[in-house]
Amino acid sequence: MYATKQPSLRINQADLKCKNGCGYYGTANWNGYCSVCYRNAMEIERQNRPRSSQARPESSKNPVSEFTKFEEKKKQQTDKKTKCLKNLTVFRKSSSAADYVKPEKHINRRQVNPDADKLMTEFLCKYGHFEDNLRKDFLKCVHHFTNQLCREINVKPIDELAETAQKFYNLYNSRVNSNPLYQNLTPEVKADLEDFFEKHVMITLYSWLFCPSSTNDEEKDLSIQDRIRKLTWVNAQHLDCCISETSLEVRDLVFTAITDLLGMDSVKAPQEKLQCVVKCCRSVVEVLQQCQGGPVSADEFLPALIFVVLKANPARLKSNILYVTRFCKEARLMQGEGGYYFTNLCCAVSFIENLTAESLNLGEQEFDDYMSGRVTTVSAWDSALVACEGMHQLCEHLTLLKALKEQHVTIQEEKNKLMEDIKELKNHIKSEVASIFERTPLTIKPRKTPLPCQADSKPSTGSLMANVALAMQSADKSKLNLNITPCITATIPEKVLESLNSSVFDECNLESPEDNTNINAVLSKVNYEIDFSDLSTDTSTAEGLTPDKRISPTPSFTADPFSPIGANCCVTQEPLIPLSVPLQMPSGKESERKQNVSVFEDVTDNQEEETLLDKLDRVQDTPVTNLPLPLNPTKTEYTGFSKQGSKIPSIPCNTGDFHSLETSNSKRD
Amino acid sequence: MARDYDHLFKLLIIGDSGVGKSSLLLRFSDNTFTGSYITTIGVDFKIKTVNIDGQKVKLQIWDTAGQERFRTITSTYYRGTHGVIIVYDVTNGDTFANVKRWLHEIDQNCEVVNRVLVGNKNDTPDRKVVLTEDAQRFADTMNIQLFETSAKDNINVEEMFMAITRLVLRSKLEMKERQNEHKDIVNLKDKKRSSNKNKTKCC
Repeated sequence: MYATKQPSLRINQADLKCKNGCGYYGTANWNGYCSVCYRNAMEIERQNRPRSSQARPESSKNPVSEFTKFEEKKKQQTDKKTKCLKNLTVFRKSSSAADYVKPEKHINRRQVNPDADKLMTEFLCKYGHFEDNLRKDFLKCVHHFTNQLCREINVKPIDELAETAQKFYNLYNSRVNSNPLYQNLTPEVKADLEDFFEKHVMITLYSWLFCPSSTNDEEKDLSIQDRIRKLTWVNAQHLDCCISETSLEVRDLVFTAITDLLGMDSVKAPQEKLQCVVKCCRSVVEVLQQCQGGPVSADEFLPALIFVVLKANPARLKSNILYVTRFCKEARLMQGEGGYYFTNLCCAVSFIENLTAESLNLGEQEFDDYMSGRVTTVSAWDSALVACEGMHQLCEHLTLLKALKEQHVTIQEEKNKLMEDIKELKNHIKSEVASIFERTPLTIKPRKTPLPCQADSKPSTGSLMANVALAMQSADKSKLNLNITPCITATIPEKVLESLNSSVFDECNLESPEDNTNINAVLSKVNYEIDFSDLSTDTSTAEGLTPDKRISPTPSFTADPFSPIGANCCVTQEPLIPLSVPLQMPSGKESERKQNVSVFEDVTDNQEEETLLDKLDRVQDTPVTNLPLPLNPTKTEYTGFSKQGSKIPSIPCNTGDFHSLETSNSKRD
Repeated sequence: MARDYDHLFKLLIIGDSGVGKSSLLLRFSDNTFTGSYITTIGVDFKIKTVNIDGQKVKLQIWDTAGQERFRTITSTYYRGTHGVIIVYDVTNGDTFANVKRWLHEIDQNCEVVNRVLVGNKNDTPDRKVVLTEDAQRFADTMNIQLFETSAKDNINVEEMFMAITRLVLRSKLEMKERQNEHKDIVNLKDKKRSSNKNKTKCC
């Protein structure tokens, strides 16, 4: 400011001094006061003014007409945050006490800077491995610069601040290149360090340097925004640019470019803003390549960029451009890709600002009609924007459907494959099983193993005792087989057993209605007996714990420690004797008790009696060995056995059921 | 300073749209022609390093939009430009007529800058309307070097770029010499100014 006054130095020196006569220089900015005197004067004025006018400038006596206009425009601004921030600046501005808020600012800077931590982290991340001295020097320079600029922020106009900043960049540049501290660094690292220096300072001071209250940047922002809003009707044809507004890919790319451009406002460092511009412009170049399928020249690029800027209408566009122009390192703006594209952006903006009917190849009248909104066009772009949501969804759904279809096909294929695999496996298993059956047809008939023994004992059979003996014998002989039997009996499906039983019964001409229950009983019995049979002859005889034994109790048949019954009671014989009694007892009497077991028992016992009587003297089939199933699985023996076997299971049950027996006894008594 | 170049120059290509500015640039930087070539990045900004008298010179060439309606706004391109290449189309008389306006544009935006005049598309004599004699006469009056090139057939392109680079390099070295002569004075002035500034800062 002062420098610009230089030519008027010819006026009296005294005129330049503070009006208060304090000896310092005054400036026109401060009504001819020096800053201290001006501040004091403002303070007094403020105190004199009513408070309300301070808080609400609109209600004050001298409402700045421009301000209300301002406020209106502000409402249009979409960015809420910006709005808030700007309101504050407006307040400052309207109260024309920029000086007054100065101390606050300083405190703010020192107290909380949300980016300070981030910057420090980035710094340590990038340069943490450097020497302490170097890092200290860097931070020292940053702080020096920051403080210096801070001190000048409210004193000097923005252009001088920009000059100072450039000066500091150069200073640091020469420091990096000449100071022995930095001499070990490669040029790349040096350049990087310089960039970071710039970034660090600018981010720290962003809120004071970006769109400062002392300038009319904000008004420019609003006017360009308004201007762009008025120019929404401009389409690619007007600009002679070959962007095909209807192509989906092109549209996507244009949206990318727009997003990049909008991103410029959200980053803080000038270099980052520049990077956003570069990204946007690259997208624009891509768009053009897509549209015309060849290299892109500036003749096509600039209109396309203008189109993108018009469609994007970025917030605070002018502020951003001015900020970058002022505080970005000058060299960066004058050369390099960033500089080139930034220059193009500046051109685009100035084109939009100065746009006339001629520049769009339109007639004056037509242009006016468009601008005033008398005539509205429906461009492909606009209609696409309106239908954008639907179209976008449609496209998304289409792609989704496509993907689903593909998935479906693959799943179908997989399914078929799996089916075939299953079939194959099935066949394979079938053939395997068949071959195994072929190879080992006999192994699953371990019941037959005792057959030879049976054959041996055949002649001797004829009596029950013989059978018992035979069973013992076979138990001894076929110990190995016995080991297998339980498994088989245990695992043999019910069907097999059933068939076995039924065949047995067929043979015996004995159709018992309790077949199934019998089988179950047999099974349970069998399980017991496996245990016994495994052990000794003693046990095997113990298994003779059957009705037969009643008829001819064996001496060995005393204590059976292995029998579940015997284990519980020391006298196993005892139940046997009373058992015989109820067996002969008419079933009708016992039916009162109605226990399932006893019913079977009765029935079976009755049958048994018959069969026993009838068939005891018969062939070896009939001799009813009450030997357990696993012990004597032979058919011939089973016929007898099973015949009674169907009765057998009930007996131990009964034997165990002392109380029932007793009661029945007592009943009988 | 360790760099891969000794000098970095910014050149600007101006001229009406369609005279082949981009083709010239493409031919020079990639030695290709627009016809059947698809670049991954736009040709509007190119960097090429050339060697002149043993000095490595990095050239940064900025293409500009030539349309009439952008004429007034392209002034920002001129900032920090070392040399300007003015291109016209030898098969199009209008583009040659506009050269005067382009030169005027340069004068408005830069104080001192090196320039060359380039008549492009000089590959089909039948269609040539701007005679070499006329162009040469005009160039002489404007004190500017003339080249007739063809980006398509790669005629004279390299020579033209080298010539402008030489011009720029020479003026830079001259300027440096002059600066060295006046170094002390400049320094003194600076000192004076800065001290003055310190004084004016009142609070």
